[in-house]
Amino acid sequence: MDQVYLIVIFLFVLFLLLGSGVWVGLALLGVAFVGVELFTTRPTGDVMITNIWRASSSWTLTALPLFIWMGEILFRTRLSEDMFRGLSPWLARLPGGLVHTNIVGCTVFAAVSGSSAATLTTVGKMSIPELRKREYPETMVIGTLAGAATLGLMIPPSLTLIVYGVQVNQSITKLFMAGILPGLVLALMFMGYVAIMSQVSSKFKPAKDPVMTFTEKVKNSRFLIPVILLIIVVIGSMYLGFATATEAAAIGVIGSLILAASQRSLNWKSFSTSLMGAMRTSAMIALILAGAAFLSQSMGFTGLPRGLADLIAELDLTRFELLMVLLIFYIILGCFLDGISSVVLTMAVVEPMIVQAGIDIIWFGIFVVVVVEMAQITPPIGFNLFVLQGMTNHEMNFIAKAAFPMFLIMVVMVFLLILVPDIATILPETMWESAGGG
Amino acid sequence: MVAMRVLRRLLDWLYTGCGILAAIFLVAILLLIVLQMSARWTGEIFPGAPEYAGYCMAAASFFAFASALNHGSHIRVSIVLNLLSRRAKRIVDGWCFLIGAALAWYFTYYAFQAIYWSWLFNDISQGQDASPIWIPQMAMGIGAGVFAIALTDNLLHVLFFGDNRIKTDIIEQSHGE
Repeated sequence: MDQVYLIVIFLFVLFLLLGSGVWVGLALLGVAFVGVELFTTRPTGDVMITNIWRASSSWTLTALPLFIWMGEILFRTRLSEDMFRGLSPWLARLPGGLVHTNIVGCTVFAAVSGSSAATLTTVGKMSIPELRKREYPETMVIGTLAGAATLGLMIPPSLTLIVYGVQVNQSITKLFMAGILPGLVLALMFMGYVAIMSQVSSKFKPAKDPVMTFTEKVKNSRFLIPVILLIIVVIGSMYLGFATATEAAAIGVIGSLILAASQRSLNWKSFSTSLMGAMRTSAMIALILAGAAFLSQSMGFTGLPRGLADLIAELDLTRFELLMVLLIFYIILGCFLDGISSVVLTMAVVEPMIVQAGIDIIWFGIFVVVVVEMAQITPPIGFNLFVLQGMTNHEMNFIAKAAFPMFLIMVVMVFLLILVPDIATILPETMWESAGGG
Repeated sequence: MVAMRVLRRLLDWLYTGCGILAAIFLVAILLLIVLQMSARWTGEIFPGAPEYAGYCMAAASFFAFASALNHGSHIRVSIVLNLLSRRAKRIVDGWCFLIGAALAWYFTYYAFQAIYWSWLFNDISQGQDASPIWIPQMAMGIGAGVFAIALTDNLLHVLFFGDNRIKTDIIEQSHGE
């Protein structure tokens, strides 16, 4: 009974610190401290330093700042303009017209950026005013943008997947490969929705652009070729095993510097702001990971993960039932925590559970990412909603409502992923093992 | 008040300086990985490169903590904070900085103790680099110390002036997700 009492205190401290607004990384550190103090007689300070030093100086983690930096460099280039100009002539004739530039644009930028919100800003900067000018329905413009931007988390490089991989000790490259097909499928589902709505909705009467000839189209999109090349090199080098995730990230940084230089958007100011931005964003995640590393160990001492795994085994839930429980759990959690924090906070407990249930851990990474993506576009704290609010000055409610159909499409995606797990597992199984491992 | 102003400027320099140092370590990670890759492709070996990159990673993170704090990059759950009145918000904000500062000082103390022991017993890294482990660990100690100073700085600011010095930047914060 004593044990239960201690666990209650432990969880209370967790909710108190997180809820009162202590920075997530520090809150995790504090809870972990309480856990070690309550459940063991070990020297807490020494356990903490050993653990956090090992976690913070890990080689796997170096992919994180590099991919962030790559995204920050490209974020400050002319990519936003080029994207709209290059994509619109090709997509204008599809049912749904230029709304598709939102989705395809996000898909392309997602492949060079690991962040959902950065994807949103880059694509939206240009597409929102252009689509408004042509009188596309506002809910459609905003909604698809919020939804498609979450692909930034799914299509590699993905910061959430790096964090997940570090937490559960799985190959980042494999996780990246696993994210590609589900990301593309989700993008197609968004496009299908746009196509259907454009035929059904009476409000969908946009102004048409003049039709271009084939050569004009190619001429307009020639600026996109370097980005496409960069994507092929970064993802291809991982798939073919030439480079580890970290090395691919380094190639990506150098590639984007060259790209920025060739566009003449590379100067000392843009270089240093991108570097300082990457430094801070990466520190933000590093702090959470440091706290989480210590918390995982502390959680182990509490016996909570083992206990819950046993409980799940006793309850005799089927895989599907377990996944449904986790789905609901993560959606609720997503109302209070951002994606990365939800992943690091729960994995110590959830990992034994899914291993117990015989769920593939790479596949589960993609499952978690889709679920966490949903939280990005649901109030009260969806980051994409905040960013869109800043960009469009709409009410939060309006944006959330516009994004709701995308939320439903993602729910469908979750079930599709459960029904056809191969979408996620086929690429990691067929990729060439990389030379350097990890 | 002149002393205060000098102290203020010194502290701000300290945070910015550590931020720049962190950025330099980030560039160092890039260079190390490029070197290691080119070594591998040309059949050479660069022993210890993964370890060095790991040390740079730790240095880049710890030195950046304070700067990230002041720029509002660190994520927190602000639902409750946003619901509170100004007065209550000040109290809760102070509590957050108090907890944060206490934890950061606690961490700094044990970090330096660990560094001292590594130095005393001449602990050598297990990796191929075989470097004395206290040298890279210094970055952890100093970075955590500056982070603790920044948290304390903000705590005092909340106590005496009622607000913190964090420039909240939702756009920058969001780039982590």
